[in-house]
Amino acid sequence: MNKKNEPRDEGLGRELEGLLASVPPPKAPAWFAAKTLARLRAERISEVRGVWFWMPRWKWLAAGLGVAVLVLGVMRWDRPSDAISDAEVFAALNSLVQEDEESRWWAGL
Amino acid sequence: MGMGQEKTRDEDLMAQIATGDEEAFRQLIERHQDRVYGTVAKMLGGTGPDVEELAQEIFLRVWRAAPRYQVKAKFTTWLMTITRNLVFTFFESKKSRRNELSEQAPVGEEDFATAREASLNRTAADELSGKELAEAVEKACSELPHGQRMVVHLRQHEGMEFEEIAKVMGMSLTAVKALMFRARENLREKLSGYFRASN
Repeated sequence: MNKKNEPRDEGLGRELEGLLASVPPPKAPAWFAAKTLARLRAERISEVRGVWFWMPRWKWLAAGLGVAVLVLGVMRWDRPSDAISDAEVFAALNSLVQEDEESRWWAGL
Repeated sequence: MGMGQEKTRDEDLMAQIATGDEEAFRQLIERHQDRVYGTVAKMLGGTGPDVEELAQEIFLRVWRAAPRYQVKAKFTTWLMTITRNLVFTFFESKKSRRNELSEQAPVGEEDFATAREASLNRTAADELSGKELAEAVEKACSELPHGQRMVVHLRQHEGMEFEEIAKVMGMSLTAVKALMFRARENLREKLSGYFRASN
């Protein structure tokens, strides 16, 4: 429906429309778009920071797990082994035999 | 520039904005900033930091809503719906703090009566100054209830059809026309002196 063709009782009336038209709405300031974009960027940066602060829960957890695995690995690497190799057993036996022979020699047996 | 062309371009810009295109967003702002800023200013009864901040917030809502934007109506209808929602929310928050702008500096009935009387006492040679008339019209509009003020603005300054206004306001066509009728009666009453003075 065209505004001009509307029944008079639906619109404001010519006089009122004339009065209101004399006071048009203000226009946006020249810097409006730039300031809006700047605000958008600022909000996006703060959102990213928010994510950064939220993420360390996972980052620190992952880092902590990694460090724990490393420490356990090093400790396991440095721990003396419970098993004794055959070479060590034979070396010990040899040294016992040799010591026994030397003792016998000194005793003149 | 045809309406259909502009609508298509707005939709295209929205599609680009949905992908994070700031340049498209800048274009959209520049295209509609006067419409949004003017509406907010008219609703709040003047310009100022609140108007600028609220108008910016409206465009930021557009940015955030862009990925979910679906073409169901004219872009301007959707934009004005966001504007209406935020402006009315602003009024509600202000009201809750008993600090509503329209209540901060209203012109009382006494002031209007004085202004009206002054205008009636003028001789034919005394023409109303444009500034005085503008102030009276602004004050009369700012005293309208929010719904009436919005309807009057959308109709008078944005040139929207009643069907579009109904969509923006979330009301039936009949309800919008009733609001317009009451607004007209209120404005006629408040500005009656100026009618006579200007005739």
